[in-house]
Amino acid sequence: MADQQTYNYTVVRQFSIMTVIWGIVGMAVGVLIAAQLAWPVLNFDIAWLTFGRLRPLHTNAVIFAFGGCALFATSYYVVQRTCHVRLAFGPLAAFTFWGWQLVILLAAVSLPLGFTQGKEYAELVWPIDALIALVWVSYAVVFFGTIMKRRVRHIYVANWFFGAFILTVAILHIFNSAAVPVSMMHSYSAYAGVQDAMVQWWYGHNAVGFFLTAGFLGMMYYFVPKQAGRPVYSYRLSVVHFWALIFTYIWAGPHHLHYTALPDWAQSLGMIMSLILLAPSWGGMINGIMTLSGAWEKLRTDPVLRLLVVSISFYGMSTFEGPMMAIKTVNALSHYTDWTIGHVHSGALGWVALISMGSLYYLLPRLFGRELYSLKLVEVHFWTATIGIVLYIASMWVAGIMQGLMWRATNADGTLTYSFVESVQAMHPYYIVRFLGGGFFLFGTLVMAWNLWKTIKGAEPAVGAIPEPAAAH
Amino acid sequence: MVLQHVWGLFVNPKREWVSIRDDECTIGKCYAFHVLILAAIPAISGFIGTTQFGWQIGVGDPVKLTTQSAGLIAVLYYFAMLVGVFSLGWMIHWMGGTYGAAVPLSKCVVLAAYTATPLFIIGLMELYPVLWVNLIVGIPALAYTVYLLYTGVPIMMGISEDRGFLFSSAVLAVGLVAFVALLAATALLWGMGLEPQFTQ
Repeated sequence: MADQQTYNYTVVRQFSIMTVIWGIVGMAVGVLIAAQLAWPVLNFDIAWLTFGRLRPLHTNAVIFAFGGCALFATSYYVVQRTCHVRLAFGPLAAFTFWGWQLVILLAAVSLPLGFTQGKEYAELVWPIDALIALVWVSYAVVFFGTIMKRRVRHIYVANWFFGAFILTVAILHIFNSAAVPVSMMHSYSAYAGVQDAMVQWWYGHNAVGFFLTAGFLGMMYYFVPKQAGRPVYSYRLSVVHFWALIFTYIWAGPHHLHYTALPDWAQSLGMIMSLILLAPSWGGMINGIMTLSGAWEKLRTDPVLRLLVVSISFYGMSTFEGPMMAIKTVNALSHYTDWTIGHVHSGALGWVALISMGSLYYLLPRLFGRELYSLKLVEVHFWTATIGIVLYIASMWVAGIMQGLMWRATNADGTLTYSFVESVQAMHPYYIVRFLGGGFFLFGTLVMAWNLWKTIKGAEPAVGAIPEPAAAH
Repeated sequence: MVLQHVWGLFVNPKREWVSIRDDECTIGKCYAFHVLILAAIPAISGFIGTTQFGWQIGVGDPVKLTTQSAGLIAVLYYFAMLVGVFSLGWMIHWMGGTYGAAVPLSKCVVLAAYTATPLFIIGLMELYPVLWVNLIVGIPALAYTVYLLYTGVPIMMGISEDRGFLFSSAVLAVGLVAFVALLAATALLWGMGLEPQFTQ
């Protein structure tokens, strides 16, 4: 079996390339709908071009298509490399690739046509949900199958994060998607009323906690030490904050339901768990930053490292902001405003996208046995992306606080000072700034795509021979 | 000398940072000749702006604050800035060891104080509190502040520029976190009934 002497790079390559493509698609849709919020005429009165249809397309494309492909690519790469063994179940791994692309295509068609279950970040109709479950279980089989046949005894910490992410997302998805179908495109949730809301936000917040955090921490724990050429600052801290993180995150969902019909004690529990969550989140940030801090002499020559520094900084910032916003009193002002949108994007653009892009800059040249085409272009990407994020979150802070204050302002006789549409009107300048911020970020992504394309164009796929594991010590 | 380095920080920041470093200023002097004066600009401008001119949200009459409420906010604002500069200096001092800089606390506070110069001066625009105008003027000021930070850190802390880049980024992250904490604290106080009094 000569095949078993090499790593399975094929599936990693496929997912890596699709990460770039879906990233461009998802972010372009995001910029379009940002423009629609500033200039509503841009929906041209065409049903499938309206904000309501395209917004779920944007979120699904960036989270599950871009983020998902990045997670598949990196987890498949990392688990093989750190276990010194070829990916288990080759055909099944190929099925996860083609199955996941099919899910994305079905989403891209069904969402603009208006088919939705109405659950945020779980909009897809039940047949697609079933396909997702199938692909995801296959993913778990491939990943844990590889872990089981590993040739080094120790399971590297990145794999713990990837493993927790895969398992938890499987459970979350299957429970939250439980529904009674009434036709091919329609179903009713298995839960009623506030229970349904609670299951939805148990899912929703842990989509953030496990899909968008644990998985990407796995990425951080492999690619940051690799790019910096240094060991993890504190391996013990990484293990401690892993367990603290997965124990705490799962309880935080109710903060999405402050001041709703959810029982008050559940809201308070969610708030307290969200506050505690700061500690394990910052454990990860400190570990990442300190690992990079030892490689300061490389920063001038390595813009990829700078991308990673900024991404971990944004992780620290947004995981601080989150607990603050989960405090009930703060939430009373911030909820339903654009402050939330800004918060999500400081995490999504700042942390998730930048750490993925940093990993892609590491990964793709190695998968094709080439040097990165241009470090200068990485520099351009770094600055445009950073400026874009800052414009985005700053405009949303101002917009969000303003909305919150306008909505709660009352006159002396108790009537509302402002009508809703007045608050919409007041948002116009900030929505333009947000559109510009998104545009900057998208431009940076296009620069990255061009850079990576020039890197791999005409290259032969690299073959990775599996080295013998070092002797135990 | 009162406000002696302000001009130089805008004209030739690198040279000015060197001269600030060589001044060996104490915390007391730095506050007396720089922070106490400059921090008054946003506090007083904000007081005048919110009581005399007010701001307009959407359509309708401008919103103003009562003199008493605005006065209280201005005083709190002033002290928050004084405390903020010192806290940032303290954080810089605390992180210094990580980045190989053993510098006394006074120097770190001076670094924080002079870095904030553009933000203090731009506080003048609070005389006319229209958010989008403030944003257009404020963003360049903020950008220049960040630039001052990145040029100032290696010089003041006596470390190489590469290392200074990381250190500056860490300081920036601390600043962002402090800003978010301030947002949350404001919303908390507001929710607990300490809201400003508007004149309508």
